[in-house]
Amino acid sequence: MDTSLLPILLGVAVLLPLASFFTLLMIGRWLPQSWSGYIATTAIVTAGLLSFWSLSIWLFNHAPEAGSHQTAEHVASGQMPSVHARLVAQHDQPDGPAPATIPGQEPSPEVASHSPEAASHSPEAASQSPEAEHTSAEHGGKKHAYTDDYYLLGQFGRLRLTISYYIDSLTLVMFCVVSIIASCIHFYSMGYMHEEEGVFTDPEVTMKDGSLLKRPGRYWVFFMYLSLFCFSMLGLLLAGNVAMVFVFWELVGICSYFLIGFYVERKSASNAANKAFIVNRIGDFGMIIGLMALWTGLGTLAFGDVDASGNGTIEKAEQGIFTQVRSEESGYCLATPIGMVRQSARGEVGKWARQHPEAAVNGDTAELDKRLRQLQSERISDGKTPYGYWLLIIAGVGIFCGCVGKSAQFPLHVWLPDAMEGPTPVSALVHSATMVAAGVYLVGRFYPVFTPEVLFVIAIIGVFTLFMAATIAITATDIKRVLAYSTISQLGYMMMALGLGGWLAGMLHLVTHAFFKSLLLMCSGSVIHAVHTNEMPEMGGLRKKMPYTAYTMLVGCLAISGVCLPFLIGFSGYYSKDMILEQAFSFRGANAGWLGSLFFVTATGGAAITAFYMFRLWFMTFAGSPRNEHRYSHAYESPKTIYVPLVILAVFATAVAWHIPFVSVSLQGLLEQARPTGTAATVTSSMLGMTWPNEHIAHLDSQWWTIKFPVTMLATGTALGGILLAAVLYGFGVVNPDDVRRRFNLIYRFLINKWWFDELYDVLFVKPLHQISHVVSRIDQRWIDGLIDGLAWSVRWFARTWERVVDQGLVDGVVNVVGRWTYSIGASLRVVQTGSLRQYVMFLAIALIAIFLIVSFFWSPTLAF
Amino acid sequence: MNAYVFLLSLIVFLPALGALVIACLPNRNAKLLRSVALVTTAVTFIASLGVFLCPASDAYFDVSTGTMQSSFALAWIPSFDIFYSMGVDGISMPLVLLTTLVSFLAMAASWSINKYVKAYCILFLILEMAMLGVFMTLDFFVFFIFWEVMLLPMYFLIGVWGGPRREYAAIKFFIYTLIGGVLMLVAILMLYFASDLRKVADVSDLYGKKADAAVVWADLHIPPSVTAKLQNDPTNGGFPLHSFNLLALGAMGQHTEVFSADLQWWAFLLLFVGFLIKVPAVPFHTWLPDAHVEAPTPISMILAGVLLKMGGYGIIRICYPICPHGGYDLMYLVCLIGVISMVYGAFAALAQTDFKRMVAYSSVSHMGYVVLGLGVWSATAGTLYNPDYWIMGVKGAMFQMIAHGISSAGMFFMVGVIYERVHHRNLDEFGGLFGKMPVYTALSIGIFFAALGLPGLCGFIGEVFVVLSVWNFDTIIAVISAAVVILTASYILWAIQRVYLGAEYKGPHGGEIRPSTLRENMIAGTLFVLAILLGIFPQTFVLRYMDKTIDRQVKGLGAWTRTVKEPQLAQPILVPPKSDKAEVSRDEARFEGRVSMVKPATASRGDP
Repeated sequence: MDTSLLPILLGVAVLLPLASFFTLLMIGRWLPQSWSGYIATTAIVTAGLLSFWSLSIWLFNHAPEAGSHQTAEHVASGQMPSVHARLVAQHDQPDGPAPATIPGQEPSPEVASHSPEAASHSPEAASQSPEAEHTSAEHGGKKHAYTDDYYLLGQFGRLRLTISYYIDSLTLVMFCVVSIIASCIHFYSMGYMHEEEGVFTDPEVTMKDGSLLKRPGRYWVFFMYLSLFCFSMLGLLLAGNVAMVFVFWELVGICSYFLIGFYVERKSASNAANKAFIVNRIGDFGMIIGLMALWTGLGTLAFGDVDASGNGTIEKAEQGIFTQVRSEESGYCLATPIGMVRQSARGEVGKWARQHPEAAVNGDTAELDKRLRQLQSERISDGKTPYGYWLLIIAGVGIFCGCVGKSAQFPLHVWLPDAMEGPTPVSALVHSATMVAAGVYLVGRFYPVFTPEVLFVIAIIGVFTLFMAATIAITATDIKRVLAYSTISQLGYMMMALGLGGWLAGMLHLVTHAFFKSLLLMCSGSVIHAVHTNEMPEMGGLRKKMPYTAYTMLVGCLAISGVCLPFLIGFSGYYSKDMILEQAFSFRGANAGWLGSLFFVTATGGAAITAFYMFRLWFMTFAGSPRNEHRYSHAYESPKTIYVPLVILAVFATAVAWHIPFVSVSLQGLLEQARPTGTAATVTSSMLGMTWPNEHIAHLDSQWWTIKFPVTMLATGTALGGILLAAVLYGFGVVNPDDVRRRFNLIYRFLINKWWFDELYDVLFVKPLHQISHVVSRIDQRWIDGLIDGLAWSVRWFARTWERVVDQGLVDGVVNVVGRWTYSIGASLRVVQTGSLRQYVMFLAIALIAIFLIVSFFWSPTLAF
Repeated sequence: MNAYVFLLSLIVFLPALGALVIACLPNRNAKLLRSVALVTTAVTFIASLGVFLCPASDAYFDVSTGTMQSSFALAWIPSFDIFYSMGVDGISMPLVLLTTLVSFLAMAASWSINKYVKAYCILFLILEMAMLGVFMTLDFFVFFIFWEVMLLPMYFLIGVWGGPRREYAAIKFFIYTLIGGVLMLVAILMLYFASDLRKVADVSDLYGKKADAAVVWADLHIPPSVTAKLQNDPTNGGFPLHSFNLLALGAMGQHTEVFSADLQWWAFLLLFVGFLIKVPAVPFHTWLPDAHVEAPTPISMILAGVLLKMGGYGIIRICYPICPHGGYDLMYLVCLIGVISMVYGAFAALAQTDFKRMVAYSSVSHMGYVVLGLGVWSATAGTLYNPDYWIMGVKGAMFQMIAHGISSAGMFFMVGVIYERVHHRNLDEFGGLFGKMPVYTALSIGIFFAALGLPGLCGFIGEVFVVLSVWNFDTIIAVISAAVVILTASYILWAIQRVYLGAEYKGPHGGEIRPSTLRENMIAGTLFVLAILLGIFPQTFVLRYMDKTIDRQVKGLGAWTRTVKEPQLAQPILVPPKSDKAEVSRDEARFEGRVSMVKPATASRGDP
């Protein structure tokens, strides 16, 4: 049970699905169809077993300590893991180092101020309370993450890009979650995709001659893609540096592209696949900018410190991102790394370097750093943004852009609903549970780097998305699209939680959501499998025909709505959603004004809407009487391979967040272990004038009555309200939904058209892009080629003209004229050629006399000598 | 020495030998002619692998040194200092291997050529010889000769075996490249007549061991006769000792003052434009789409896979080392041209309806990365003369050349495969090939994704290295270059959708569509496997060989920036710091002192 096994085990877990992919790629076509399912499933199940093995190794070595004073109530609510307990203990001491910010009060001066020494190093805007030191003390001496390189991608002087791993409890939890869900979905797909085993008739593709498309089944292709996806997703989780995250980020993107476009013959599917990939690339564009800022500012992309030289110590150049932005000397507070300061103060650096060229190359920069520090404190006291701080913000926002794309947050959310064109198991695995959650995972992983301003951006994007998507889900009638919008909305919750300082809340919701959302989508798949339509208005009353599906889906609906017996026990969604709301409430307390309240109010309202549309979905599908008799009569419960995974996932969706009595391990405890060092602290931003309360404050015993109690009651109330409304409208038919629709026609049209985002983007981006491309192409053909052809033509014209005018006219003309003259002279001289000797003698005499005269005329005696 | 002469000449002239053999063969047996040509290219490829990568070879490539290896120099026209001189280093060796590989695959793709097979094979092999010569020669004059020799076979290969507008395309190609060659010739003569080996000898260790010698004489691979001449008479009778040796010219550019800054500026510009035409970069690119569209498939493969690389090779081998002043002064021009090509090519590709034209424009876009990566001169005072990011850019550019050689050759081949069947290239009239040609479609999508820059395939590494290195040079250019990923994805995915996906084939000759043959699959499969290997293990397969050479060259230029360029630049710009500051640090005081001491003229000029 040695932790040195971890990278090997997890590495193998990542590579197994890849091996399955290559096997199927090379020989899948010739294998019996069912084998491909077995190969892929074996690979992922083995990967899952390896993940659990790794987790047990981890627990063996780093068991979360059970808090000594955990009360029965805490245990039952499952929200008091060890780290909390100890922090609470310290907070409760009357002479604790710093009083925690009490919600509803102004932040204490100690929190806002900072020592002048820190100011030189850490910009004022990111000052933090010394509380962060608790965390450091806690982790001191205890290694809580393993990171090292697998192999080198490229080396540039001192810079290295590698394939590496970073393993902490978050990695392990995510490995287990992904492999459990993926295994279930593999089993499920073996049933769901059975139509692809023989000749497949695509009901949605009509050929030119009017017949339906018939093609060989692509069962093996499906499992091949699934395997590739599992490899990419697990690789993404294992990644030890941001470049590697980006690599797998793109790979999951391409798997998503393949899987969305699985039915390649359908135009809508290939359009949706293109849309998904290109919209994600827009996010990646931002991510690359973030990567560039980090890479240039820090000289590394590794999360943790990697001992590249192998000498057993971590030198300055070997520090990872986390150490560089939250160094030990700054008390794990976020401080602008010196590399970014230098980059930002390039003018000053250049001046210094020109004076000290030798010191500059030898790395003897103490003097420079001193000067920069002095300039930095001058800037801060002048009230200017410190050097390098904007780079830190750009890096954070850039990385978040990638997450916006992948997690389908506003404004890049438009691809996810269309992605439902893919087969339903894909929607469940890729587009609800794992890949889209990768964005949230990365925000959680990258948490130490985010400045408060970036957190604010994250929270705003999250809160808008959760509201916008929830409203659209109300009117959607396609069962999968409802769930797609629901996914967007839930991801918005997670983003908002992270943005408000609720790291644990966001991560916990990520895990619970993965279970219940994949369950919900798989249930919807089971329904679609039975009735062969996605449209809920054609369903109804299916409860009786498909009990397993109906009741497992009910579990999913209850879990997403966060139904509970307050303070005692509830479905998994209850724990995570309440934690988010508590943090939002705590944030509201720390920040007066509408902006502070916005998050809590919207999130609570969103919770009601969530409960409403989920139960609307359930009632429309399973309750009441059948609305389409034909479809109803053909419906039947799905085979075992489909509903057994549903039951398994239903168990997880119910209980994954429970804190089981007498067992010290809980999901929250494990996640809390992975909390980035220094992020359990109250943070203020002077740029925005806001405070981010320490996440632990919301769970303090002393705050039970001021935070926990009201939030839980309110959340439960709104959830029940939403369910009740759905029951009134769709369950019992007390009010006719059509009347409501007519009453709110304007809003209805706004929602049913999805806020007109697609149309807007088409006008704003797609069309202009195509126009620019045509203009560019025309520049090439008309202007550049026109110029070239014109030049060529003018050269030819010039040559021709030259030939005509100069050659034929001038040169030939002169020659001809001379020739003619010669001829005419010759002709005129012909008359003297008489042949008469006397005449010749006379000419001779005349000539002699003439020569004599001329010579004597010019002759001078001096010339003779 | 003799072994090097033999081995390197063998690689260059094997194709010529094959051409000779073919010339003697009878005209009628096309299959025999093609086979001989194929065997020749195959032997050349294997020979190049064996010579450089087989440990038993005399010219085994040594990855631990950054200097020129396996080098030799034989007198050719000694009265004009022209030597038959060759050698390889980390920059040229991978390109030589790429050339022999792509030539082999392109010859294998030539099976459908039925017109004048004999002439085709001969011209093809002469072309290969010239390309190899360009990459291996160390003499500027011989370089120019090979460069021009390459032109003629290409002209005929496009002009005779091309499509309907082949004459137009061929003459356009010819004239463009010829103009580039003329500009180059002017620069060559400028540099030759200004060059003086005596000055290099003065700063080298030729006349006895000097610890601080800037140049190691042996690294320049000057022919022994010339060395002896200098040793006998260091002044050479008071006359300058000219040279065409590229390495010696580089030493002159960086370590002596025989090339004035103005001369370097002009020479850089002339050479750079000459090479840009070959790259090709916007606005000198319009010959490329026409040449590609008209050229037969194998020639397109050669053109995109190898010929374009000569532009990049020339910039890194000749422009920067010989004319660093020009490179420094024009660094923004270089980077701007690079980034404009990337964006412009991508936009133009998006608008094309001709499949081959689209791929041609994608080449313009991808080669823009090469120009950009070579030009990110970030080893300046503001970065403490840190050359690492520039090293990254140059390595990215070099990798991109190799990767593009593989992916673009593959893309053109894939276009050719379908063109042979349906005889049209209209993107809107394809569709449904996924069902009809499954293996072909899978390989095509793989190769197109390599061009798209998908991680795990070769295109990604070059692109991401270049793009990541740019931020340290200039943020705005970096942002624009990062945005190209969106456009690249758009045009490639859109093309894939229109050609391979969909329910039915929409164009003419639908009946002729049959699955790809084994020969076609082998060619595409080789390229695809290489794309994967290079994408996953870039260090192992490519960068390992380049590391030392590029480090050496870029670090040398970084040191030049620090010791030569920046001091020259710094003097006139220095302005005394404001005196109203309350506290003047020690640094600033010294700074001020230096200003008044060094440049009193600045103060007097500033006076009203």
